[in-house]
Amino acid sequence: MTRLIDPSLQKLSFIMGEMGDMVVESISLAIDSYLDGTNTMDQVHKLSNSIRSKYYEVEDLTFDMLLKYQPVADDFRFIRSSTEISYAFSRFGRYAYDITQVRDLFGDVSECTNASLIESTKKVKHMIKEAVLSFAELDVRKAIKIREDEQVIDRIYKERLPRLIESNNTKCALAEALLLRYLERIGDHAVFMSDAINYIVTGKHRPSEERIMSHTKQQ
Amino acid sequence: MTALSVKPSDVAIKESLDTVIDSEKYKMIAENVTISYDKVPAVKNITMKFKEKSVTALIGPSGCGKTTFLRCLNRMHDMTKNASVTGKVMIDNIDLYDKSIDPIYHRRKVGMVFQKPNPFPTMSIYDNVTAGLKLNGVRDKKILDEIVEDSLKMAYLWDEVKHDLKKSAIELSGGQQQRLCIARALAIQPEVLLMDEPASALDPIATQKIEETIMELKKEYTIIIVTHNMQQAVRVSDYTGFMYLGDLIEFRETKKLFTDPKHELTAKYVQGQFG
Amino acid sequence: MTTTNERRQEYRNLFKQNVEKRLLVDKAVRIVVFACVIIAIIPLGSILVEVFKNGISAISYEFLTETPGSIGSGEGGIGPAIQGTLIIIGLSSLIGVPIGVMSGIYLSEYGDNRLARSIRFFNDVFMEFPSIVLGIFAFLVIVLILGHFSVWAGAFALSLIMFPIVARTTEESLKMVPITYREAGTALGLKKWVITFRIVISAAKSGMITGILLSVSRIGGETAPLIMTILGSSQFFSSMDVPMDALPLRIWRLSLLPYDSAQLQGWGSALVLIIIILGINLGVRYFFANRKNGILGQLVKKGIHAKN
Repeated sequence: MTRLIDPSLQKLSFIMGEMGDMVVESISLAIDSYLDGTNTMDQVHKLSNSIRSKYYEVEDLTFDMLLKYQPVADDFRFIRSSTEISYAFSRFGRYAYDITQVRDLFGDVSECTNASLIESTKKVKHMIKEAVLSFAELDVRKAIKIREDEQVIDRIYKERLPRLIESNNTKCALAEALLLRYLERIGDHAVFMSDAINYIVTGKHRPSEERIMSHTKQQ
Repeated sequence: MTALSVKPSDVAIKESLDTVIDSEKYKMIAENVTISYDKVPAVKNITMKFKEKSVTALIGPSGCGKTTFLRCLNRMHDMTKNASVTGKVMIDNIDLYDKSIDPIYHRRKVGMVFQKPNPFPTMSIYDNVTAGLKLNGVRDKKILDEIVEDSLKMAYLWDEVKHDLKKSAIELSGGQQQRLCIARALAIQPEVLLMDEPASALDPIATQKIEETIMELKKEYTIIIVTHNMQQAVRVSDYTGFMYLGDLIEFRETKKLFTDPKHELTAKYVQGQFG
Repeated sequence: MTTTNERRQEYRNLFKQNVEKRLLVDKAVRIVVFACVIIAIIPLGSILVEVFKNGISAISYEFLTETPGSIGSGEGGIGPAIQGTLIIIGLSSLIGVPIGVMSGIYLSEYGDNRLARSIRFFNDVFMEFPSIVLGIFAFLVIVLILGHFSVWAGAFALSLIMFPIVARTTEESLKMVPITYREAGTALGLKKWVITFRIVISAAKSGMITGILLSVSRIGGETAPLIMTILGSSQFFSSMDVPMDALPLRIWRLSLLPYDSAQLQGWGSALVLIIIILGINLGVRYFFANRKNGILGQLVKKGIHAKN
């Protein structure tokens, strides 16, 4: 039986799906452009703007549903998490754009590539794909993997930053610092996203919040 | 409405009845209550605890037994011919169904407001409010006047009728009549208030006033309200019980039941997938 | 949607199109129904007119207050008969109404069992009894036992006629009071008899009074039972143990006499009887309908508001 709210929920899922695909694409493009020197700034810029406008669409749709249908239970949690997740998506798009800007500003930094950079970017790409998939399938088991990946990125971030201060190559050091920063932020948002997905499925709210707050304080 | 393929299993029901048991006092406890009409059980072995000064909502599809259960809390089924009630209903640790106590005396501790406003048609506003008092032997005019003012104020009706208490009750609007019934129920100084879909026959503004009244009353009274309006349950109640086909499926804090119901039936019902 | 627009149009075309003809039929039916009402009313109306026409000239102060004169003289009046009718109606009501009301209350409020069902059945049968049979019964039970005609016997017989009507109408009026008022009373902790007498009866007053008036009108005109119980007389009321006069008896006696003057007095008596019955009816209704707190007045007022 189709309820009044069902078409709106389907539309919400659809938009979120589109956003997810765009996020994966934009981050892959951004990272690749950094690593191998291609200029993808315009593409990523366009994608980032699309993601942002879809974020507003999701907001409007959410409040429309609240106004009309006063959703409860599963519907309610899905809608609430979609707000948080679409915000995370918009941040991903933004960071992707920021990364291409680094490449644009600094020029070709492909020679600055090193092992830890490769590792962290690989992790990020994987993490984003897993996060988007996890939302599409509402599969909370992937959350554990996402958290592991995030911890790796964090570790790399903490290890590399002090080393960069002593580096001779200013350009590479600065570029890498910026990149690592953006990657670390992407990681955090991915964890928030997995929390939101967890909320939809289990009803438990914000389990990772405390952990993240505590380690951001240490810096 | 097609029959549901999900049957409430006992284990699942038990798990979803986890309320936060803390040391706050329970005003009313219904224990193992079973109500049958002509030997056919309509309410099956229900146990519910109602905290003092709280509002508990009972929701569920038509025919689930919520009104039947509500009415056993003040022994209304004594009036019904083929109804039989087993189990205990305790107020302050006195079982209402104990054979040795006087049901009429204890029934006064529990007031009731009905779905369709039913002020006594041949009486004035004043007489309606005092009906439970005068007809039970309370005669002192001064005390009656005090109680009338107090009850009407609590029901948010005093300002609208204070200038003409002798007016006939049926000249009031639907919402006013219902508030009059609330005042009448409060006049007998109950401790628990039962409300059977009190706003379902009223327009939205009147409904809002009734809900505001409930929010004020809950500071002093324990209120149990049957409603089929789920948004109303979310707005006014602290605890919610979901009943289906005579069983109590889930009983939890309202916010938790509506955002994260533990039982599949509950989730289906509150999201409008049946009922 | 399996029904297409074309199909819907086909459905629409199925409806009868002959609107004018159907309006005519409608009008015709209305006229026929109205005509039937008129046909029914005409005899009643003409009776009233006849009685009034023929009886008005007999009315005088003397006629209304004096005892009957010698047969055929045209003198005297029907004073004792008027007094007798009022007395017998009053006495019968005193006996029949309370018993009838109590039975009605029992049947309505406490009567959901087999005993009540049988009582109800016999009550309905009783209502259809020919009044002459009840008169004979009263004759056997009271007149024969006591050895003389008396007012007691008459009151007894008429109350037998009254009681089932009052019981039935009381029961129906009480049943018409919605159960929700009883529930409200129960929820307030009131005892059952309090609820019945102070709340339910209060709301059913109008119907109950109608029933009582119906039965009063009925017995006001009963003749056969009176023949066998109070017999009739030419004197004013003296005691309960002797015969008494009543208007139906007087009308009967007068109409059998061959004298014109007697006939005239008969018409006059009939007119008086009708006026008394009418008066009781209207008077009681007016009294209850116009009281500010009366349920009838309230409902009338509310009905007017609702229409607006």
